[in-house]
Amino acid sequence: MNVTGLYEAISAIPVAEQSAWQNFFVKFYRAWFLNSRWQQYFEGLLATLEVTVMALAIGVVLGVVVAMVRTAHAQRRPGTHNPVLSFFDFIFKIYVTVIRGTPMMVQLLIMGFVVFSSSRNFTLVGALTLGINSGAYVSEIIRGGLMSLDPGQAEAGRSLGLGYIDTMRFIVIPQAFKAILPSLGNEFIVLLKDTSLISVIGGKEIVYFAQAIVSRTYEAMFPYIITAIMYLILVMGFSYLQSILERRLRESDRR
Amino acid sequence: MIDVKGLVKAFGDHVVLDGIDEHIYPGEKVVIIGPSGGGKSTFLRCLNMLETPTRGTITFKGVDITDPRSDINKHRQKMGMVFQHFNLFPHMTIMRNLTLAPMRLLKKSKSEAEAKAMELLERVGLADRAASYPGQLSGGQKQRVAIVRALCMEPEVMLFDEPTSALDPEMVGEVLDVMKSLADDGMTMVVVTHEMGFAKEVGDRILFMDGGVIAEQAPPAEFFDNPKTDRAQAFLAKVLM
Repeated sequence: MNVTGLYEAISAIPVAEQSAWQNFFVKFYRAWFLNSRWQQYFEGLLATLEVTVMALAIGVVLGVVVAMVRTAHAQRRPGTHNPVLSFFDFIFKIYVTVIRGTPMMVQLLIMGFVVFSSSRNFTLVGALTLGINSGAYVSEIIRGGLMSLDPGQAEAGRSLGLGYIDTMRFIVIPQAFKAILPSLGNEFIVLLKDTSLISVIGGKEIVYFAQAIVSRTYEAMFPYIITAIMYLILVMGFSYLQSILERRLRESDRR
Repeated sequence: MIDVKGLVKAFGDHVVLDGIDEHIYPGEKVVIIGPSGGGKSTFLRCLNMLETPTRGTITFKGVDITDPRSDINKHRQKMGMVFQHFNLFPHMTIMRNLTLAPMRLLKKSKSEAEAKAMELLERVGLADRAASYPGQLSGGQKQRVAIVRALCMEPEVMLFDEPTSALDPEMVGEVLDVMKSLADDGMTMVVVTHEMGFAKEVGDRILFMDGGVIAEQAPPAEFFDNPKTDRAQAFLAKVLM
């Protein structure tokens, strides 16, 4: 007997007379197989990944730019004054303060219902908001990495005659990248999970579809547990990739 | 070769260098000694603009390098610097440490740069460590590599900032030997050190720095046997015992 046949046989039994296992099975069948609902989870999963990748790209680009400007401003030659640099440093300081000082959910509500209230593309608005949010955290992580490196490293580079850009490129950034990789990985995991929040402004990702299924079946357990498992698998996969990368970068240390 | 005029360096209200006029001639070995906090390292770091002077000028081969319009990177290529804490690049092999700057700045091919690096590594007895990472070397070996790294840029003057102060005592000799052989080759050298033996043997001229000024200067024989100022006498009494 196939799964559908089994479901039809069991659901014919009145609920009061079903065994606990039979009841369990019926609920799971409705949350997953009925009307090919599993496809909706995967549609949501795809959207989650899309939003994550988009937000990640925005976040990394923003984070790198902000961190570079703020580090350059902090390490400028004493006595020199660059009004453009000071202006952007000031703007970026406000950006980081506002983003870190307000909840992700509130930022989504403002972006979704105030700033882009006329937009129908909720998923894209969500991705943009997450990217802007992530950029603030990524910039602080990168800034911390750049600042934590022994200043002697940059001095050694400069004393050889290498310029600021070359010193950053060959000496500072490769070492800082290795140092910040764990925190950066952590930030990406947080970002991946935070995509679930865009359902509040109508972004169509996993949680959005899970909620839709719950409202149709009046049964919350399986849709949400399935959702949780999907996130867990994604995060575990990502952590695995991160550990491989970290191991490869560590090869130059202590051999 | 290097001409220093009215050099003042202050960190906020704290004046570290209080008006220094000095000239370093080609081929000269100048050794700077003095108590901690006297401004020795700051003076050396000002010579290649790792510290920006508050006032005064530094002229290197006829060019005022304190002028913001001068290309300091070009001048630094001609001034090798060796640090107390080596500052080798830990994420690169020794060979890459040595060839990075020559390939980027002197536009040398990889094989050219590596041939030069290998020749210098052989001179300091570390040819077999070319493929190692800095973390696998002893302190003395690291400092010898750091000297070679500076030499790979074919500098005209070498600045040493307490090159043996971070080393275990048994490794000081190997680094000083490399510096001595460099001196014998006629390299212009400015050395900040606490190694009085080295100062006596190699120095052409001793600069005694205290309180942000050059309190006394003389050839080593004269300085060590017959210091004129009270401060120099007190310092030597402490370090020579």
